[in-house]
Amino acid sequence: MTKHLKYTPWVLMAPFLALFLLTFILPILAAVGSSFTKVRREGLFGEEGIVSEFAWFENYAQALADGGFIASIGRMVLFGLVQVPVMMLLATVLAILLESASARWPGFFRAAYFLPYGIPGVIATILWSFLYVPGLSPIIDAAAVVGIELNFLGPSTVLWSIANIVTWTYTGYNMMIIIAQLKSIPGELYEAARVDGASGWQVAWKIQLPLIRPALVLTTVFSIIGTMQLFAEPQVLSTSSTAIDSQYTPNLSAYTTAFAYNAYNAAAAQAVLIALAAFILSFAFLRLTNRKSV
Amino acid sequence: MTAPVSRRQLLGYGLGAAVMASIAGCASPGSTAVNAAPTIPPAGGKVTLTYWSWLKNLQKVADIWNAKNPNVQVETVWIPASNDGGYQKLFSALAAHSGPDLAQIEMRKLPAFILVNGLVDLSRYGADDHAGRYDPTLWNQVSYNGGVFGIPQDSGPVGFFYQDELLEQVGAEPPETWDDWAALAGELRRAKAYLDCFPLSDPSIFTAYATQSGATWLKTHDDGWSIDMTGDATMRVARFFDNAIKKDLVTTAYEPFSPAWFSAAANGKLASITSASWADALIKGVSGAKGKWRVADMPRWGNAGYGSTYMGGSTAAVLANSQHPHEALQFATWMTTSQEGINTLIEHCGIGWSPCPDIIGESRKGPSEFFSGQSYNEEVFAPAVKQQNPDWTWGPLTQQTFNILSDQFRKQASGGTLVDAVARAEGEIMTAFRQKGLSIRKADHS
Repeated sequence: MTKHLKYTPWVLMAPFLALFLLTFILPILAAVGSSFTKVRREGLFGEEGIVSEFAWFENYAQALADGGFIASIGRMVLFGLVQVPVMMLLATVLAILLESASARWPGFFRAAYFLPYGIPGVIATILWSFLYVPGLSPIIDAAAVVGIELNFLGPSTVLWSIANIVTWTYTGYNMMIIIAQLKSIPGELYEAARVDGASGWQVAWKIQLPLIRPALVLTTVFSIIGTMQLFAEPQVLSTSSTAIDSQYTPNLSAYTTAFAYNAYNAAAAQAVLIALAAFILSFAFLRLTNRKSV
Repeated sequence: MTAPVSRRQLLGYGLGAAVMASIAGCASPGSTAVNAAPTIPPAGGKVTLTYWSWLKNLQKVADIWNAKNPNVQVETVWIPASNDGGYQKLFSALAAHSGPDLAQIEMRKLPAFILVNGLVDLSRYGADDHAGRYDPTLWNQVSYNGGVFGIPQDSGPVGFFYQDELLEQVGAEPPETWDDWAALAGELRRAKAYLDCFPLSDPSIFTAYATQSGATWLKTHDDGWSIDMTGDATMRVARFFDNAIKKDLVTTAYEPFSPAWFSAAANGKLASITSASWADALIKGVSGAKGKWRVADMPRWGNAGYGSTYMGGSTAAVLANSQHPHEALQFATWMTTSQEGINTLIEHCGIGWSPCPDIIGESRKGPSEFFSGQSYNEEVFAPAVKQQNPDWTWGPLTQQTFNILSDQFRKQASGGTLVDAVARAEGEIMTAFRQKGLSIRKADHS
């Protein structure tokens, strides 16, 4: 009986574990393996022999020496430093406003703010590009009437045009997580605060913010990882903006290396570096927030 | 007593073995040498071929063949065009040891497929017997190492499309040389119009000009590739456009056939475009353009180089995992050299210039109502095909080469020159070849 029970969880988890291993763990291990491999070809196309050999860190050295790839990581760090705080601030303010006692139709607004998250990034980018492309955009036309020349797709502005799309998409999602945490704050705390004469500001500042900290930390880490993985938005927007090249973001760079150049080993090294960068940045953020709480 | 292997250890071993197997499977793409295996004899019974292509309505062409060849039925499958997803699909299919019998692959992309052993050498199935029916320049671009790796399907000889009225305003004829072209561009600038644009982000156009000027960037040798992007022929073009950009004779603000280009062309701000025969269909999309455009020969680089050049062009290639290369070759040659094949490819698929010099296609003969009654295909493009650089060879890293060039060209905007950009790109391209495990050296100038 006990022996029987001992195996039951494994049996029940087997379908999940099998898929998890096959579609998640194995590809990661294969990518890591691939990143340490290189191919040497004899003849014009390798018709006289193709040799796969262990490359040590050659693919990593190649990725790190690639100015375009390093620049793309720098670009994403800059993007994250600006976009993530703006989005978190917006999400927090919206969540607290919707959860305040004086909010009207909170259910409707909650759904409205969350709606963009239901729109896939590719579609969102196509929608927004109608507001960005000169000749199509009513915003650019309207600004031109009052003498302002807007260019949403230039080398210095397109990054922030992408940030705008990402913020529009994910603010509502982050807001929902924060609202869930706000709802778990016991009513007694609010009552006690009111009895003590706390104002609305004080409730928000002294009670709600400290208690939703775990949700804020979680959503920020998700956002940092999401930033490093930015792909669909710049990929789609690159058809309307020449400022977005084939290595604009780290993932675009790995994608181009793998699927336009067929250099899978070099792309695997880039992918591992992207994962490492996301890991280091998330870990640094967690360390930073933990230290503050002590 | 030997320690029994624990479940965890067993799992570990199994995982390790699976990883090693999967890594071994990924590590050497294209190690199955299809062209070293014995040839596949013609099939006895009925076969069905699949053809992946981004031509719309290609099935209508295949249906004509199917009606006459009950034993060789062709099914077409639409894929996204070239690098927009089509090639990715093809490479993935090849890696999975599957894929169609035939695929549409651009001339410039063929070597990348050869690099992964993805294409059948059709000379082993008698492709050479058909060589005489194709434009020799195109045949050279599908031939590597004595083999034939694709059947030319269409191409793009280049001419000079211009707006008659705008040139007449400054009292000019279509330019015969690029020097005339620069003078004309200057005249038009005084009339607040541009003669043409020069796209920094699409180096295929620069490449076509350099080819016309006589450049052959890559050559094949017994010991690998040699590269020459800094020879006179290429530098002549780079210096010319450095100068043209500096003097504001061309605009770099937009690319050909972008929304901004169409608007400039429609508003009389852009007088001409030097482009391939297939640009005729695009120019018909300029609003109110009917009767305003004509076509002339491409301007020449003085006495050097060639009368025309090529932009674009694709092949029907037989993929490595095809079980019926013999039948696939038969279909591909019928499609590209028969009167009805070419006519229907033009009618249904709007294909580029015919690869068969004897048959340009019925609908391309005679005067065109749109181009002011000019028989431009017979006057300009049919002769242009005979005046192209016959030596050009595409390398296996064309896409990367173009990306490297355009990254370098973009520095033009911040004060760089095309001359420097090309020289720097050459070094980067050599590095990229070596990173692919290929050998390349700088061509020696004699």
